[in-house]
Amino acid sequence: MVDLPKKKVGIIACSGEEIPEGTISRVAARMVLEELSPEDTVTLCLPLFLAGDENERAFARFYPTIAVDGCEKLCAKRATERYSGPVSGSIVVDELLEGRGLSPGRSRRELDEEGQRSAEVIAEEIADQVGRLLGRKRAIEAVPVVATTAPATAGGTCCGPSVPVTQVRIGGAPVGLVALEPIFEQFCEQGRLDGAGLGEELLKTVKLYNYVPDAAEELHKAAILEEYRKFCRGKGK
Amino acid sequence: MSDNDDDRVLIIPCSGIGRAFGSVGREATYMVVEEMRPGEADTLCLSLLTMGDEEAKQRVRNHQVITVDGCPKACAEVNVTSAGGRSAANFKVVDTYREHRELKVPSVLNLGEPGRKLSRFLAEKVAAAVDAIKVKEG
Amino acid sequence: MSGEEYLEATIDKFVFAVKKNYLYDEQGLWVAVENGVARVGVTDYLQQKSGDVAFVNLPEPETEVKRGQELGSIETIKADVSINSPVSGTIRERNEELDVRPELVNEDPYGQGWLVLIETTGFESDREELVTAEEYLPVMKAQAEEARSNDE
Repeated sequence: MVDLPKKKVGIIACSGEEIPEGTISRVAARMVLEELSPEDTVTLCLPLFLAGDENERAFARFYPTIAVDGCEKLCAKRATERYSGPVSGSIVVDELLEGRGLSPGRSRRELDEEGQRSAEVIAEEIADQVGRLLGRKRAIEAVPVVATTAPATAGGTCCGPSVPVTQVRIGGAPVGLVALEPIFEQFCEQGRLDGAGLGEELLKTVKLYNYVPDAAEELHKAAILEEYRKFCRGKGK
Repeated sequence: MSDNDDDRVLIIPCSGIGRAFGSVGREATYMVVEEMRPGEADTLCLSLLTMGDEEAKQRVRNHQVITVDGCPKACAEVNVTSAGGRSAANFKVVDTYREHRELKVPSVLNLGEPGRKLSRFLAEKVAAAVDAIKVKEG
Repeated sequence: MSGEEYLEATIDKFVFAVKKNYLYDEQGLWVAVENGVARVGVTDYLQQKSGDVAFVNLPEPETEVKRGQELGSIETIKADVSINSPVSGTIRERNEELDVRPELVNEDPYGQGWLVLIETTGFESDREELVTAEEYLPVMKAQAEEARSNDE
């Protein structure tokens, strides 16, 4: 049984050392990871990201990522865009706090009461964005993409190394689609070789991992269905 | 940032968010800058420097730098170097931990008493390095 | 740790490698046996989960060990991780390099980060409790997904 990667949201916080807002970004990110959305989020380590860690950069490349910056310098957002791709959400702590009449507090070392309150507000905002990106209200329980109640079988490998991406020609241009092969494996294993609605279902599953503009849906569906048929023929089905 | 920081030593921690060591290094930095050597040391946003902020780069060029890393990946050291800086000294939190193995840090956000003690031991070493740099500079 | 020598599993941003042709136990130790001598170490998953190793505590040569009994421990900033011996026998050698460079356990868990060499006794029986890399991978993956922690 092929396990599809669970869709999660990455949070990359600036942790800026010079101002309390930097500390707030850090604390808020951890609050989301540890308390508010533990099953749906992953924190990315910005210094490691900047130092060139491919695992951190790959995650942000292929999964929705929210940048949480202390100030208008936007280090986390710009770093993500430079090394991975566009962010799916951006929170600028000093702007958001000002907009809500809140103070970051006076301490960058250990948040005082005002700073702590502000961190909680930022954490709530992050968690709300996480929920929106996953298309639902904030959930505590993980929602598996595809039910995997069958026991894992020996010899199966997960989607490694790192994140699986397949290049597909869509509308004459190559497009990288995340998790395509594991999705095809799963459909094939389930014996879904043809039938009404197959293209639609394939597209729906692909969209869990990839952004597909509305206007390009039909093109994507046709291309994915053709690739899937090739895939199944290759498996002798 | 200070306007009058011509001879301050810059202490730059990695602030890694994935491990408690990152928080220990950050706390140790603040201890030195705000408590042990105020006026003689300062800190700077590592990300700002690495993302090419000109003012940050200028500060690193014009000041002595000490980097404080949470783990052997040494992101503060790596990133300062990649930004054109050079550290006069580098500290790794794990090395201080090896001298105080009884101090287990509960979590990234909650250093607890053991974490604060560990930070202080590290801060003392960093402060001594600041002093050594100052002596050398005369 | 990538390439044809390894199987891999990805959980979130973490990639865990499992070296082919080694044997594994459920706690996350690997065993490589040659001529009745077992080299033992920790898996990539166990070292990542444990964190940066600061100390490794291992038995001296000539010590007798039994499968399932405590072999030693690795100490990190967050925990002391006990390691139980995956095989029975006598310690032939402990990796002394780890006294000086414990970080080898993190940097090269399947190579220079090995822990001990054990002259095995009754390995045929112990072998039944060990699994291949292909069998261990889904076990490890399930453990990682359950533990699922971003930091430590």
